[in-house]
Parts: sequence; structure tokens; C-alpha cells
Amino acid sequence: MLLLAVIHLGDEAYGVPISRQLEASRGRDVSVGSVYAALERLEAKGLVTSSLGDPTPERGGKAKRYFRITKEGLRQVHETRRVLTKLWQVLPELRLGSR
Amino acid sequence: MKRTEPPQFATRMLEHCTPADRHEVLSGDLLEEFRSGRSEAWYWRQVFAACAVSWTESLRARIPLFVFALIWSMLAPAWKVFIDGIESAPIIDRILDPLGILGAPPLLAGWLLLNGSFLWAGMLVYILTLSACGKVFRRNEVRRPFLLVPFVYAWVFGAWTFLCMLDWTTPFENGTFPATPLGQITGLGALEDAMRIPYIIALLAVFWNVIPRSKHAALSEAEMEQADSAAQSDPVALIANFDPFAVKRFFALMVGAGVINAMIAGFLLCGLPESHSPTLTSLLIRAVIYVAVGALAGVGGAWIYWKNPASPFRENPPIPFPHFALVCATAWVWVPCMIIFSEQVSPAAALVAMTGALILANGLRSVTASVFVPAQHDTSYLAPEEAEIFAESLYRAPHEVHGYLIAICVYAAGCALATRSNLTAAALLALGAFLFAWKRTFVQDKVLESSKVYKRGALRLALIAIPAVLVTIWALLDGVAHRNHLAEVNMALADNGTSANDGAQQKATDQASTNGVGGYESVILWPLPEKKQIIPPLTAQESLLAPGTTRPLIIPFDGPYWYIQPPNENPGPKAHQARGTPLGADIESSNSVPLTMEAHQTLGTAIHIARCREIQVGIENRDNKAGVIAIAVLLTDTASPEKPALYLGQQPIVSTEPEHFSFKTMPASETLYFAVPESTKIRKFNEINVMLLSDVEHALIAPKIAIRQFKLFPR
Repeated sequence: MLLLAVIHLGDEAYGVPISRQLEASRGRDVSVGSVYAALERLEAKGLVTSSLGDPTPERGGKAKRYFRITKEGLRQVHETRRVLTKLWQVLPELRLGSR
Repeated sequence: MKRTEPPQFATRMLEHCTPADRHEVLSGDLLEEFRSGRSEAWYWRQVFAACAVSWTESLRARIPLFVFALIWSMLAPAWKVFIDGIESAPIIDRILDPLGILGAPPLLAGWLLLNGSFLWAGMLVYILTLSACGKVFRRNEVRRPFLLVPFVYAWVFGAWTFLCMLDWTTPFENGTFPATPLGQITGLGALEDAMRIPYIIALLAVFWNVIPRSKHAALSEAEMEQADSAAQSDPVALIANFDPFAVKRFFALMVGAGVINAMIAGFLLCGLPESHSPTLTSLLIRAVIYVAVGALAGVGGAWIYWKNPASPFRENPPIPFPHFALVCATAWVWVPCMIIFSEQVSPAAALVAMTGALILANGLRSVTASVFVPAQHDTSYLAPEEAEIFAESLYRAPHEVHGYLIAICVYAAGCALATRSNLTAAALLALGAFLFAWKRTFVQDKVLESSKVYKRGALRLALIAIPAVLVTIWALLDGVAHRNHLAEVNMALADNGTSANDGAQQKATDQASTNGVGGYESVILWPLPEKKQIIPPLTAQESLLAPGTTRPLIIPFDGPYWYIQPPNENPGPKAHQARGTPLGADIESSNSVPLTMEAHQTLGTAIHIARCREIQVGIENRDNKAGVIAIAVLLTDTASPEKPALYLGQQPIVSTEPEHFSFKTMPASETLYFAVPESTKIRKFNEINVMLLSDVEHALIAPKIAIRQFKLFPR
């Protein structure tokens, strides 16, 4: 989900919009701290890169940290999608309320 | 009206409880969201969640460190026993006693070094293990913990000991470690755990800020650093140009590390079989295991230094490590039998060490020929006729300093052997033999293929391991025979001299008393004046019996002091007898069995217990080692057939206790008081026995405490 959010936001992918995107997708609050922790783990794996932006007054002079997906990250996203699609395709049709 | 600034305390909490590289962007994000309309409750929730995530991450990143610290500290009790063995060695006291208070700094430095060695070894194993798992450490980050760890340990040990002393059920008191190294390592008793905790805390403390990173993260960091400092040269690359001196130094370090590791393994793991008559098969199996232990421990020790991040051989070694290990293992296989011989105070230890050193030098010289062979003079730039002239060098008189060094080693080793310092002799002879073999080994110019080199190395190791196993069997057989002989001697002495006429035991006792194992089996020390039959004045004793007597009876001590070792209860008929006072005599155990000191005063005539209220024992103390020594008094009636005795209890000698201790140039007088109960099982006594109950510090060296007199008070 995080990788998809980063891809979706493009050049504007930093903590606040990523968290809002995830909140909108999940329908509940998201901890910005845990978003950063997860993004740092992805960065350690080489799936995203980060760079610091300029400080802005509305943030109290604090800089933004922008995230971008790497080629390896993009490949992983495609691979995950392919596997999930394959798994969904082989599932039998589910009926709500049936046992 | 809504606030535009978030709660200040929450912001401060965020700054202090999250990593430095995260809290700035995180607080910026939260501030941006807060100003866009989020509530204070949301802000607080986010701060708490960020702190919790940071703590969880922080702990998760250190899970390998926690696990490793726990595993490594399991070895701590065995290491502690090893250190205690070194600290209680008589030679340490011989060196430090004359120094007095000046001996404290070297003692502390030695203690720090010994404990630091254990922690340094653990840190190296941790780093290398994680490196093998694909993790990377920054060299600068690692250097600091290595320097700090002994001091951190000292501080933690002090604090931990203080905490334990606050509790009256301290695990340090009355606790003993299991006898075997395996038992010490696997033991989970209070004492073992108490020993482990300072090591765990020290390892966690020094490595807390050293978080290993994945290779990917380290690579990207390295790229960034490279861009920043492209002009800086790599010191490791500079060293790796195979400067012969640097190569020699590092080879010496690695061979030394292997030898020390093999010796530690030998001392810890290579003991004698428990059986008194082991079979040849069991000895063979044991010898093979010991030889393998020596080789593996040596290889492990060298590998740790070879793969050390600071080692110039790590990336670009002059010879492959397996090849180096095969060569050096031919020497390390001799270490276990050398240890077994040295524990029996046998000169064979020196011969074995010399053999190992010869083999090692020969092998190392051959495999490192390409590094150390001097370069040939290049005369290609000269004219042909000049080249012929300069191709021949002038004769120079040989300048062989190593010859003098070898001679000094041999002479010094001879002196060491004469004084039974076999380990010193072994080290000196090994050094001399190594130098000799290094200089005299013929170096072949032919370069072999790597597969042939390994095959030849493995074959050489196998051929040398066979005699090593045989010598180890010999060492084990000799050790078992030596131990059995000692057991016979102890049995003979424990028999209270009644079986002194028995042929075999008498012979054994004679040998032990005259030759012993580097000393006498027991000692009787008589006072300096000629021994006199002291019979207290009858009138004085009768006065004790007489009702209404109030004056105390003073009996100057003139009996013998016994120095014996358990399980013996008396010196036996062949004890070494000498004249002197304990204040001036240096009597110490020549093995690891503690000494027991007793003083015996015969009264000649019996005194009725009912007439004696109290006994005061006057002593003179010239012992300059702080510790806890107590005096116990036993009144015995030797005239009765059952020899009944009355134990009056024990009293500590205050002038030796650490809190009252001071360096004594003159004997300090002290009086100890023992109350005599009115109703006892025995009615009279004719002998006063005094036992000196020593602590661990005085276990192997008899305390310099003499009995001055007894003062008996009438009831």
C-alpha cells in the first residue's frame, strides 16, 4: 500500500500526503510515525529513495522528506500485483452468507 | 478559538523519544497537519504512536545484540574460574607482595585486561557473525566500544557487586562454581547468573549505538561518503601493499592469537580422564579429541583476527586463510599435550613446545616465501659489461643477531627449567626453535598450483597429527599415573601414621615428603627457642581449681604450628619440621589445594572446664593481605580414650579485615575473646587447639599470624 501511495503521489510523496492517502484508503487514522518507520525499512531494502526538501514556514521551518520509488521497488510492485491477480483468478466464486 | 501551536510538551516528547534523523521531518509533518485543522487529541495520539514505534524499532534492531550477549555471557563463569586460577597463582603474590600498595595499579590493569579479553573476543565474534550474515558495521563506530569495554565492565561490575552486597543473601557468599567447565557454562545457579550479568550489561552498553546495517544501505552510504571524500586515501589499501614488516607483524599477531586461543581451550577443556585406570582406546579417543580441539581453537583464534575489520589481510591476503590455517594447525595440535605436561610440572612441556615451534616455523617459512624472499637486483638498466660487475655483490661478514637471541633463549630456558618454571621454559625454547627453523629452512622457488598446495598442506597436517596424538596419550598416561601416586600419598598420610610401617605406603610417603610435587606434603613449624616441655605451674592450675581464685592464668604459646592440606588432619610422621615463627616464614601451597594452619598448645595437666570462665587468645598479626581470617578455638582432653573436644566458636581477626586493614611493617597485637560455657559434655581439657580459618585470598598462602599467649580466667 505504501509503495502504491508513493507511486500515486509522484513528486509530492512526503509524510503528510502519504498518510492522508492511506487514511483515505483504509478509512481510519494512520500514525505518521509508523508510516516513516515502514518507509525507512523499504528504503533499507532499496525499494524507495528519499531526499530532504526545503524548510517551509507552515511546518515551523522543518524540511519535508520526499520519497521516490526505485526501479527495484517498481518491479516488486508489479510482481506483487501479478501474484495477487493469479491467486484471485484461481479462487472459486465466493458467495456472501454461504458456508 | 483553536490553537495554532500544538502542545509544547508533546512536541518535546517527540523530539526526545524519536530518532534524530526522523523527529525533524515528523514534527514538521505533524505541525502541518495540526495547523490544517487536526485536534490536540490527534496530535497526542500521533506523538505516542511515534514514540512507541521508535522504541519497538530500537529494540528490534538490537535483538541480535541481546541474543548474542546472553549466549556469550554463558561462558562467563568458566572464564571467571580461569581468571581466579591466574589471580590466586602464588607467583602473582610473590610479584605483588613486595610492592605493597604500589601493586594495586598493575593488579587492576591485569584484572581489566583479563576481563577485557573475554569481552573483546565476544565483540569480535559478534561482529564477524553478523558480517557473515550480510550486515555491515562502520569501522569508526566499532573502534570506540573496543576501547571502552574494559572500563565499562569495571564500572558495571563495581555497581553490580555493590547492589549484591546490599542484599544479605548475596550470591557471592558461600557459592561455588561447578567443577567442570561444561558445568560452569551450563549452570544456571545464582552465582553463575550473578557473574554473567555484568558481562551482559557491558556488552549491551558499549554496542547499544552500534547498529549493523544491511549491505545495500551501507553501499549507498559508502557511495555518498565516497562522493564527499574522493580525495581521501584508504589506509587499508595502503597497508595491503604487502610491506614485509607489516606482513610479518600481522602473521605474528595471528599465530600468537591462535596459540593463545588453543592454550585457553587446552586449559579449559583438556583435562585428565576421571578413571584411575583408563583403557588405551578411551585415551586414544580423548587424545584425538584434544588434538582436534587444539587445532580448531587455534584456527578459530587466527580467523577472528584475520577477518577483523582492521586487518589488512581481510580483503587481499598474501596467502589464502585456509592455507595459513593448515600450516599453523600443525603447531597448534601440540598445545593440548603441552598443557597436560605443564600441569604435571613436567619438563616435557618445553620439549613439546619446541617441537611445535620448529614445525610451525618450517611450514610458515615455506608458504610465505613469496612475501619474504628478498627481491633480486635489477641490472637491466645497466650496460652489459656493467651489469656483470654489479651482478656480483661484495662479501659481507654475517650479521646474525638472531644467533645471539637463540642463545639467550636457550640459556634462559635452562634457568627456567632449573627453577621448575616449565611454561616459561617452554615459551623461551619455542621462541628459540622458531627463530632457528625460520632462518635455516630452505625455501623452494617452485610455485605449486593451489589444489596441490592444499593437498600437500592437508597431508602434512595429517602426518604431524599422528605423533601429536601419540604424545598426548603419553601425557594423559603420565598425568593419570601422577594423580594416582598423589592419591596413594594422601591415603598414607590420612592414616594418621598408624600404617607408617606398611611397605608400599611408607615408600610413597617417603618420596612425597622428600621430593613431593615441588614442595613438602605438610610442615610443622616449631617456635624459635629450643622446644621445652612446658608444664604450667601446678600451683597456678590448682589455683584455678580453688574456689575464690580471681587472678587469670597466663600461658605463653610454645607449641607447634601445623601446615596441612585436606583431607589430612595431621602432618603425619614424615612432615618437614623447621624452627621459626609464622610472622617470618613464607609457607604456601605448591599445588591448587588450600592450606590449613593450626596451632597446638599442650598444657601438661588437665584444667577443669567448670573453673574456667573465659579464654583470651593473644595474637600477633603481620599479614599484609586484606581479607577475612577467623580464629577458632578447640579445647581437647587428650588424656581420655575418646579424646573429647569442646568447640568455643570462632572470632574474626579485626586487623586483617578490609575495612580495618593497613600495611604492617611491625606485627600488630590483638586479643580475641572466647567464652567457656559452664555446662559442657567434657569436664576437663589439657590441650588448646587454635585453627586459622582463611578466606580465598589466604587459601594458598599461610597467613603471617602467630599466637602470643593464652589467658585463662577463673569462673
